[in-house]
Amino acid sequence: MAKERMKKDIIIIGAGMAGLTAALYAGRMNLSVLVLENGLVGGQIANATGIENYPGLARVAGGDLIATVQQQAESFGAVVDEFDEIERVDLTQSPKIVETGEHIYETDVVIIATGMQRRKLPLPEAAKYENRGVHYCELCDGHSYDGKIIAVMGGGNAAVDAANFLTKYAKKLYLIHRSELRADVVSQKKLYANPKVKVLLETEVKALAGDGRIESVHLLDKSSGKEYDLAVDGIFVNIGVVPNTKLFAGQVNMNEAGRIIAGEDCRTNVPGVFAAGDVRTKEIRQLTTAAADGTTAALLAEKYINLLREQ
Amino acid sequence: MVKVYSIHQCPWCTKAKKYLESKGVAYEEHNIEENEADRIACEKLSGDTMVPVITVNDKDFVLGFDKEKIDALIA
Repeated sequence: MAKERMKKDIIIIGAGMAGLTAALYAGRMNLSVLVLENGLVGGQIANATGIENYPGLARVAGGDLIATVQQQAESFGAVVDEFDEIERVDLTQSPKIVETGEHIYETDVVIIATGMQRRKLPLPEAAKYENRGVHYCELCDGHSYDGKIIAVMGGGNAAVDAANFLTKYAKKLYLIHRSELRADVVSQKKLYANPKVKVLLETEVKALAGDGRIESVHLLDKSSGKEYDLAVDGIFVNIGVVPNTKLFAGQVNMNEAGRIIAGEDCRTNVPGVFAAGDVRTKEIRQLTTAAADGTTAALLAEKYINLLREQ
Repeated sequence: MVKVYSIHQCPWCTKAKKYLESKGVAYEEHNIEENEADRIACEKLSGDTMVPVITVNDKDFVLGFDKEKIDALIA
């Protein structure tokens, strides 16, 4: 069956905070807006159990916050499609092309807001244990470890927040990190105050072991040089993130880490292509800065469209 | 009848349910956090307690959100 061709003013790729904020602003400017999401609406925030640093909200679950932003965007006419997966983009021609499983879209503007995804555990045996003891979603899989021994890998906010959440299931929880914790002080205090928790710093996970499922991890204590096995039932990996930019390779300038090069105006090197949120080169990546990027990208996208149509 | 085994606050469970709704497929939701019998049934079916699990006849199932596999299951 031939794919349906459709025209949109703006296509936003990625339905995290940056993408949905851009959709909200663009929708309010009466532009036709489509948001495409190949993964989870909300992106990394969909897995956040409790957000306490978004101004105006004392504490909110990531899924609840993003659902509200989605409803806001949709109330102003933006359409969010999380099932029609993007197969390719062509940003080099005008109009730009975004081809999905069911449609070929033409659009004046593309806002790339694809965010980041968790870095996979870089051990050769990790893949065979995925969902058999190795996990990347605490909200989805944490309940399976009720009364069991859990390890969390990582030392940033995401890792410590994950560990704090998982203590509700674990009989014992180890937080394992190769250096010092980088998480904010509030989250660290909560973690250290929990008697179920043992924090193993300067410690690396060298190998996983188990018959079909993980039964233990082999650790290296870098400060003493001692290696030992630790019995665990499951390990949740939070060792950083990588940008979701493969779809745009060769079409827009990126840095060595794969982030799209764009300044505070979110403009890339390709006219009419903007990068917003965690996917672009910047120093601070927070929910608030993602929302700011979405705002900037949408407002400058409208200016670009107006100039284009005046020509 | 299509059954979806799920838990609260599970983003992939939410996506799976929304996908079934977008296809006009009616389903029964079974929350394995709330109901021990459902938890046992889910584990018996898939061999695990990972969710979402979608089944049409309590025999064939899809674990996780996999659009192609779900399409084949509900065809």
